[in-house]
Amino acid sequence: MKMEFARGLRAPLTAAAGGLAIWPFVFSGAYDLRLFTLAGIYVLLVLGYQFIFGHSGALSLTQGAFFGLGAYATAILAVHAGWSFPETLVLSVAVSTALAAVIAVPVLRLESHYFALATLGIAQVLLLVCREWVPLTGGVNGISGVPGFALLGHAIPNGVPSLILVWSLVIIAAVLAWRIQGGIYGLGFHVVRAAPAAAGAIGLDGGRFRLVAFLLSAAYAGAAGALFVRVNRIVSPDVLEFPLMVTCLAMTVIGGATRIAGAFAGAVLLVYLPEWFRPLDKYYLIAYGAGLLAMIVVAPDGLIGAAARLRQRIAPEADTPPEPARLPRPANTITASLVFRDVAKSFGGVRALQGVSFELRRGEILGLIGPNGSGKTTLVNIATGLEARDGGAVLYGNRLLTRLPPFAIARLGIARTFQNVCLAGEMSALDNVAVARSLDGDVDLETARSQAMYLLETLGVGGVAMMRALDLPHGVQRRIEIARALALQPDILLLDEPAAGLNEREQADLASRIRTLRTLGLGILLIEHNMPFLAGLADRLVCLHEGRVIAQGSPGGVRQDPQVIAAYLGLPQRAPG
Amino acid sequence: MLQVLANGLALGAAYALVALGFVLVVNAASAVNFAQGDLVMAGGFAAVALGRLWPVPGIVLLPAVLAIMAVLGLLLSAIAYFPLRGRPATAVFVSTIAVGLMLENAANAIFGAEPQAGPPLFPGAVIALGPVSLSRQALAVIVTAAVLITAQELLFARTRLGQRLRATAQDREMAAAIGINVTWMIALSFALAAALGGAAGLLLANSFFVTPTDGTNYMLKAYIAVVIGGWGSIPGAVAGALLIAVFEVVYPSLPLLVPALPASWLFSETTATIILYIVVLAVLLLRPRGLFGEAALRRA
Repeated sequence: MKMEFARGLRAPLTAAAGGLAIWPFVFSGAYDLRLFTLAGIYVLLVLGYQFIFGHSGALSLTQGAFFGLGAYATAILAVHAGWSFPETLVLSVAVSTALAAVIAVPVLRLESHYFALATLGIAQVLLLVCREWVPLTGGVNGISGVPGFALLGHAIPNGVPSLILVWSLVIIAAVLAWRIQGGIYGLGFHVVRAAPAAAGAIGLDGGRFRLVAFLLSAAYAGAAGALFVRVNRIVSPDVLEFPLMVTCLAMTVIGGATRIAGAFAGAVLLVYLPEWFRPLDKYYLIAYGAGLLAMIVVAPDGLIGAAARLRQRIAPEADTPPEPARLPRPANTITASLVFRDVAKSFGGVRALQGVSFELRRGEILGLIGPNGSGKTTLVNIATGLEARDGGAVLYGNRLLTRLPPFAIARLGIARTFQNVCLAGEMSALDNVAVARSLDGDVDLETARSQAMYLLETLGVGGVAMMRALDLPHGVQRRIEIARALALQPDILLLDEPAAGLNEREQADLASRIRTLRTLGLGILLIEHNMPFLAGLADRLVCLHEGRVIAQGSPGGVRQDPQVIAAYLGLPQRAPG
Repeated sequence: MLQVLANGLALGAAYALVALGFVLVVNAASAVNFAQGDLVMAGGFAAVALGRLWPVPGIVLLPAVLAIMAVLGLLLSAIAYFPLRGRPATAVFVSTIAVGLMLENAANAIFGAEPQAGPPLFPGAVIALGPVSLSRQALAVIVTAAVLITAQELLFARTRLGQRLRATAQDREMAAAIGINVTWMIALSFALAAALGGAAGLLLANSFFVTPTDGTNYMLKAYIAVVIGGWGSIPGAVAGALLIAVFEVVYPSLPLLVPALPASWLFSETTATIILYIVVLAVLLLRPRGLFGEAALRRA
């Protein structure tokens, strides 16, 4: 993320980068140059691992295997078939990515504890196969005599030339990673990881994000493996063993799992630490384990994250909010209603919903009322794909919503808020809204932020735009959610208790805002307990009780309905006719 | 055949202890303890060290190993679990990997990388059972493991402490609400897990030796046993462990048992391990919740 990456750290990071660049030319022994080249290769490996572990938050244990596979692919083809460096580099990337693509489908849908085992299992199978398949891999002895780097028929000698080649590739890879993570797409990664339900509600396909992250991590690892073999000139099953995976994990955790600078810090540090701590000898690895443990406990966002926080504490630097910008008027083509037809849902033996039928028309505000536990939120969850229905259907135009995943429903123009607010807490209020603009193909991050600022201001919370969402009071968070829903420019808006936690003036503000949306032609469903708020606003009311619609019609009529009164007062009611 | 099966069961009994420890932590803390395998290794080295100080049969050392390992388990929970409560699940994976790394390298620094043999459980090598003779060590391992598993079962089923541990495993919030000291119960679960893992280390240290790098293998076997047996199921973990071990021992011996089969790489130990992983991957592919479903309660 652009701002997080360098906020307040630009000067020290630039100095550190300069230091890194000078380093090899100051300590220019052959051994040191080799070490520094290797550090670059690890940076590449870690940059890749950040996609899946940092940005997707999935503990993949195949990163080492992708690296090893890339290494072996290069070694085998370079030694047995004489392939050149560029050819084997492309091939190593392709082989690792292909393996990732094959295993992604079954593996990525697993929950964390199965995902870790499955990825570790795949790595172990590769390791064992590589040890046993002697004719191809040389077994435990591996393959030696791999030629070094060469470009266009010119050999690139060890030392400074190889170092420059490797680090040039590392920098290209880092810029690429920065471009992928820095834009609005990077915010998307964050939401998918931190608030999966919210991601679906703003049309982000979490599965796709994870897949892309997994493939990218494999591609980077494959490239790192290809370079590693060219530097090392020999490959053995060590590259597929668990310790290499642990090294990669440690570098990522220690440097910082979501920051480009973290990959550099973690990799360079862990390559050089054993050199600096030679006196510790065999106790070094114990200290290394202790360091990893300390980092995950004390500084979960790594050295660079800790440095950024420290910097922020010493000299707080307030971000300036962007200039607000109106959203372009969407081309309104669909004018369909949202139709609930005989919707039924049970939890265990409890019937949460049965035979629920009503219609939300465009240009109307429909109040959905009912006592706690009457099934209101469940109904919204079914309409937005978060829960599966047991019977009946939810239709939007000619589309059957009940078979679609949440993100697809959001993309049809149906937006929602959550009863229990669902925001990415570490992200600013502004970015929580800006990320919802990502479906609009031609919006870049800057524009999205300006538009988000506009939405926040219309909801009266522009003043907190740059604050972290989790630091804000509940009522404010609710309005941020509404702003986020509006960022989708929806045709249908489902608001789950939007007025909770607002004072009367804020409620009046919100009500007038909702009325404006009605005149724009939106269909709005309002779940509310707050009758005075609802009474002045809703065109019609639907009352749910114990999962059934017990009354619907004009607000006055529904409020006077004896069944509704009985339901709210908890009186015994007649069997519904 | 009987000897092969007995060896398989002996290995399985030890695996079962490891898997049992693994699943206790899964249940109590909803956490995967990646250091469980290294605790086995640590138990093995504890037995080696104690055996050097005091040359008695392993069975005599068992209580001391259990005690040492329980303390190590408490320590593990204090440094690698409790500071990370409320953080994403991956945090505990990483912290226990780190502890595993420390244990492995501590063992390497103290004992060296060479395999070491622990003391046998009982003196004497072979026992005659009618016409067949079985390794006394294999039998002793099976019996000791069975006693320990039964003891754990009794602790859980019959005692107040066991009740509290079970309540904590089922629903931490509810347990806390009825006045159970949940933190202490989780710490105790870690202690039990380490003690059971360490006992397995002692049982395995004689026939299979112990090396500092053993941990990953044991951890993986326990992990797989728990996945096969149903995530969170205690009997499932034991059954899964036995299944894995018997397969591991019997499969490479198939050419000996069935003369029609050729003795080739198809029946090597490595092939057995590869098949095991592929089976587990297939199980996860076809049944993403494990072979017998999940016993651990889902917590949102």
